[in-house]
Amino acid sequence: MPAETATKELILPAKKKEWEIGRIFKRLIKNKAAVIGLIIIILQIVLAVFAPAFAAHNPVKQDLSLAELPPGTDGHWLGTDNYGRDMWSRLVYGARISLFVGIGAVALGLAGGITLGLLSGYYRKLDGIIMRFVDLLFAFPGILLAMLIIAILGTSLLNVVIAISIWSIPTCARIVRGSVLSVKKQEYILAMKSLGASDTRILIKHILPNCMAPIIVFATMRMATAILSTASLSFLGLGAQPPTPEWGAMISAGQDFMWTSPHMIVIPGIAIMCVVFAFNVVGDALRDALDPGMNLEN
Amino acid sequence: MEKTILEVEDLVTTFKTAGGEVSAVRGISFSLKKGETLCIVGESGCGKSITALSIMGLLAANAKSRGNVHFNGKNLLELKQDEMRKIRGNDISMIFQEPMTALNPTFTIGFQLCEPLLIHRNLSKKAARQKGIDLLKQVGIPMPEKRMKQYPHELSGGMRQRVMIAIALACSPKLLIADEPTTALDVTIQAQILDLLNDLKEEFETSVIMITHDMGVVAEVADRVIVMYAGEVIEEGSVEELFNDPQHPYTRGLLASVPNVDDPEFKLNPIPGTLPNLNEEIRGCRFHPRCPFAMEKCVQASPVQTNRKQNHSVRCWLQEAEADEYSKCQPSSAV
Repeated sequence: MPAETATKELILPAKKKEWEIGRIFKRLIKNKAAVIGLIIIILQIVLAVFAPAFAAHNPVKQDLSLAELPPGTDGHWLGTDNYGRDMWSRLVYGARISLFVGIGAVALGLAGGITLGLLSGYYRKLDGIIMRFVDLLFAFPGILLAMLIIAILGTSLLNVVIAISIWSIPTCARIVRGSVLSVKKQEYILAMKSLGASDTRILIKHILPNCMAPIIVFATMRMATAILSTASLSFLGLGAQPPTPEWGAMISAGQDFMWTSPHMIVIPGIAIMCVVFAFNVVGDALRDALDPGMNLEN
Repeated sequence: MEKTILEVEDLVTTFKTAGGEVSAVRGISFSLKKGETLCIVGESGCGKSITALSIMGLLAANAKSRGNVHFNGKNLLELKQDEMRKIRGNDISMIFQEPMTALNPTFTIGFQLCEPLLIHRNLSKKAARQKGIDLLKQVGIPMPEKRMKQYPHELSGGMRQRVMIAIALACSPKLLIADEPTTALDVTIQAQILDLLNDLKEEFETSVIMITHDMGVVAEVADRVIVMYAGEVIEEGSVEELFNDPQHPYTRGLLASVPNVDDPEFKLNPIPGTLPNLNEEIRGCRFHPRCPFAMEKCVQASPVQTNRKQNHSVRCWLQEAEADEYSKCQPSSAV
């Protein structure tokens, strides 16, 4: 064996690679829209977490003497609603609810979707049954399915979370199944089997991490859908009940005063729009950042 | 000599496909002694890898194996999945052809190296890590502590194959199946990897089944050689016998297809034609459509195994013909 080549190979310097997450983040913030989106999301999280500190007033305390104050009023910079409740305080507490619903619905939906997707992608025998069930869920128009579930479970915010999560399951299951189908054919999975790893170990420890990129993108985009759907359901009176300061419910309550106090619907409307926009652009940017084929800058 | 650790008897592997059942391996038998290196040689698609996967029990869902594979007194083909799982990686392990795709790109070398130890040895994570570092040292990887934290794409092809070998040897298996371990590597790295395998074989007292189509690799590592053609063993013998006195026309053809650098006059002599399709029905000897010596008998019946010497057997009608009238079937152009 030529000694020269041997040493050459052995002293091959380990290329310094930045931490994987750091690299993805760097690519993410190259996208201007994503930066704005990220700022909005962070803002929402901060508002939601520290809501009592930001809200100047109790969001459900009524004072009819202060009803329908326009934005810019002293002490109520976003004005008040028809019961004299401070709009800013309601908006801040509403951020908490929409974040809770978004995270809750997406987490539950992912749990169900990933489980079904992994099983149907890996076990051919289960594939048919699970995918027909998923097709069944797909057959319902999304919001109708959610309304059906709420009609069965009763109206409450928690039931909205459950309804939206069930609605997320079929899409998530399809995405995960597709990734599992491609990953399980890889030689490293065969290599893991040849080392005596059990199916459960292979599925959870080796296949799932390789399917993470589309799941992360799906979760981010789904946050937007979940928040929007909660607002829709609350607007229809199926979600948060008064006096809960939910954005959709706020719009619903404000529609009677649309001509006299437009700020009652415009302000929560803008909030919903911003947050949905933010999650969508970040999801889009994440998809590009996580896709190694999109590495165009070099 | 040493005792036999693997005995394959009449192994048949079939696949159910849309076009009906096809056989990839057609009743092959061989045995392997402790510490021995057996090379399985043949063209791509002749059933070498399927044989290996059949032994490991890792065939696709539409495949079925019949016959016996005795390993350590157990018939592997009759074992339940979880019993087989205890053997894989622990008693028998495997190295794959392409080190780039056989390592999971999302995990560090350390993580993947510790997996067999965590699965079979119940080591703590810390102990597994230490053992992993030792293994990397044994396969000649410098700065093992640092390598443990790196990802597969940060290593060169040769390094990756060394890591694969370390993973395969982690639990000191009794049998190592290497499926074309050097095919995807540079020639110089190939030599290193073969040397390493030879050294480690002694160190770990492992028997090796090496699958290859490279006669150079065979000459380098093999004790005994099996030549496969279209799912059948057509010649088997010690490496010296096979190289010095090849009997089957296919074996001779294989040896004539290896370039000879020392001899400027040497002309490559490829075997005409291609391997038959798996579902192609061929009567008689499966090699006869490509065989320059084919006789009438070859078309009519499948040849029987003839033992030339104690450690050399051939499946070819020529062996019989040679006994009575060899000269008659000599073709005009010699192989």
